Amino acid sequence: MDIDLEKMLAKVKASQWALADIDWDAPGAELITDEQWPKLKAFMSDLMWIEHVGARGFAAMARKAEDPMLKEMYTYFHAEEQRHANAEMALMRRWGMLEEDEIPLPNINLRLVIDWLDTQSDRMPLEVLGSVIPMLEVALDGALCTFLLEQVDDPVCHDAFKRINDDESRHLGVGFHVLEMQGHGKAYRLGLNFMGTVLNPRLIVGIATYLPLLSRMRDNVAAMGLPEEKLYKAMNKYERIGGRTADGRRNPWFQLISRHGRLVADRGNKLYHVPVDAMVKLTDYYPRALLRPVPTWVKELTYKTAA
Amino acid sequence: MSAVNGHAASKQAASASRRARKTPAARQAPVLDVAIIGAGFSGLGTAIRLREQGISDIAILERGDDVGGTWRDNTYPGAACDIPSNLYSFSFAQNPNWSRGYSGSAEILDYIHHLVDRFELRALMRFRHTVTGMTFDEARGVWTIRVAGKKNVHARCVVSAQGPLANPALPNIPGIDTFGGKTIHSARWEHSYDFAGKRVAVIGTGASAIQIVPALAERVDFLKVFQRTPAWILPRPGYAAPDWNKTLFEKLPASQTAFRNALFYAHEAMATGVIWNTPVTRLLEGVAKAFLRHQVPDAWVRRQLTPQYRIGCKRLLVSNDYYPALMRDNVKLYTWPIDKICEKGIRSVEGIEHQVDCIVFATGFAVSKAAAPFPITGVDGRRLDDEWSRGAMAYKSVNVAGYPNLFMALGPNSGPGHNSALSYMEPQIDYIVQGIQTILEYDLRALDVREDAQAKHNAQLQKRLAKTNWNSGCASWYLTEDGFNATMYPGFATQYKKQMARFVNEDYRAIRYEPEFHERWMRND
Repeated sequence: MDIDLEKMLAKVKASQWALADIDWDAPGAELITDEQWPKLKAFMSDLMWIEHVGARGFAAMARKAEDPMLKEMYTYFHAEEQRHANAEMALMRRWGMLEEDEIPLPNINLRLVIDWLDTQSDRMPLEVLGSVIPMLEVALDGALCTFLLEQVDDPVCHDAFKRINDDESRHLGVGFHVLEMQGHGKAYRLGLNFMGTVLNPRLIVGIATYLPLLSRMRDNVAAMGLPEEKLYKAMNKYERIGGRTADGRRNPWFQLISRHGRLVADRGNKLYHVPVDAMVKLTDYYPRALLRPVPTWVKELTYKTAA
Repeated sequence: MSAVNGHAASKQAASASRRARKTPAARQAPVLDVAIIGAGFSGLGTAIRLREQGISDIAILERGDDVGGTWRDNTYPGAACDIPSNLYSFSFAQNPNWSRGYSGSAEILDYIHHLVDRFELRALMRFRHTVTGMTFDEARGVWTIRVAGKKNVHARCVVSAQGPLANPALPNIPGIDTFGGKTIHSARWEHSYDFAGKRVAVIGTGASAIQIVPALAERVDFLKVFQRTPAWILPRPGYAAPDWNKTLFEKLPASQTAFRNALFYAHEAMATGVIWNTPVTRLLEGVAKAFLRHQVPDAWVRRQLTPQYRIGCKRLLVSNDYYPALMRDNVKLYTWPIDKICEKGIRSVEGIEHQVDCIVFATGFAVSKAAAPFPITGVDGRRLDDEWSRGAMAYKSVNVAGYPNLFMALGPNSGPGHNSALSYMEPQIDYIVQGIQTILEYDLRALDVREDAQAKHNAQLQKRLAKTNWNSGCASWYLTEDGFNATMYPGFATQYKKQMARFVNEDYRAIRYEPEFHERWMRND
């Protein structure tokens, strides 16, 4: 996916919106049924946290990007993901899911990922987060948001997610462009760099927090009624788009993440799912005392349109 | 042999010729020997030095109604110089009574007023004279200076001393005119505005902002600081000067000179880390990071405040109270990009409208890096704007080929990153005085730097600049949009001073009213 970064950055800047552009008190909140309400609360909470950790991922990428244009783009994407999390909190508040200044509690796997992002993400090379984030985006964009809009009739929710999806499509465009860019070059060099990074213990810890998070999210959304196939179909988009060009396919990170996507989708593969599902359960017993204090970037979240 | 010292014998004849030259011109309009544009440090310093050399037919054209330049304009709360006062003052007019190591703007402005009184400069001043352009009349060897709403001013020599940091710059943020509250630029402070109980946003985190934020934080209800790029900040070794110190400097001026020299060389030493990438650079970055860690306990805020470019690439700042101010309960730092300004405040990209009563723009100045400060037309109708469209260039930052008898103070590539601007300004002034003396004493129609000398000078300069931290990849006001460095001098102040010590005749074309003169000139005869 070859895009002109300069034009894309101009487009990003020209496509901004604010929470104040949406009338959060408009009618429609009553369309949420009593049956939907508790499931939706859990769903929105997970969604909001995925956006928020995605934001932190972009913040790390903004540090690592050498191209000033890409650096600025990621700075915008960091803020835009934060905006999505803020808008999703505003929706939760509209639906009466949050008290005053309450922030939904992240599950343990999210907490572990937040910990890892806070301490390690700035040390990771761009290609790691640059390859993972498009996978999260396709899952989010193609499955979770689509599912949400199928289930919820509230027009304000549709309005907010139309804006969010427009942003995400630009994030995906840039994400796949960078994925291909990073596959440019001699395969053996890319492979050597990949081996050097993938064996980094910091990254291994990161992977160990990412795998159970993904499985827990899958379980959560499945519990809400999202057919797993839809999620896998969306994840397959990563392989389809990322693998369209030789450069994309040559990117070892693309290979790793798309193969992992296939593993996740193949529920018959016990070799993968049994240990990862066990990790999900084990993390429930993770001693909370070992968690670092919630970083202050989490406190930047707000549902308020004005501050 | 300098031009000035080499022709003492011809002085008398030259003076007679000069008088003769002025007489016919005077019939058309009075022609000054020297017009100085700007009454800041450089303009006043040039006037003082010119008069010391017996050149007194001078006018200082000043657009404001007082002297002081930057220090007249920058009166925002907390305004101070980030160079020690004993170094940020003229060596020929030292002030033993500085109250602090780093003085505030009011005290510096007092010093400038003191210079005006001590050197009796008031009579030279033409206030409310805003220069709108100037043209060189080659046949007469006279610059015609156009002044808004006033008669033209004519002068044989012009010193352009309007200063690089004279025109406030507003950021290019959409909707800036739609804001319904108060807006104030740091360089045009409105002291009548009452900040008490107000919600205020400061846009910018450069040299002015880090002084404004601690001062405003004390007064306002809530302060939001919008940062685009963090600066490297070092601790400032400020102190209140004890009385004994003032008495010592007064009774024993040599002690103040010695202290000034010590400060000068201490700052020179900083160049080794600030200008070039050396182990000292790492050391300075380490000190700045340790300082940040000491003052800012929160890891995320520290991350937001940690620059991602090499120290020295942008202006290095000093402050002891900026970080603590950001840690106050009524102050918050925002690093989200600003989307636009709207009626009630600032909308940033995280989707929130930051509603405030007042926006303070601490966004610096429009520095002419690729344009003349006003239209300047030289020989054969050449325009400085056209020649500088890809970046300003001059010979030793003072002269530009094709613009005879025009001298610039703090012109292209004369900025320091590590030392007092006055340490660069003084040698420039002395060089300018040598040039003007040459014109007047040889009775030159035109003294024009040679194109080849200017090109050679700039080729060397840019080659040296390529190796500096300023050109190491960050965007700063030192560079044009294309990355051309038209502002900084790539070396020690000592080197700069040495470069400016001798007026090199061979690098100039001197045109007298009789053609054979030029041959004599080239022989230094």
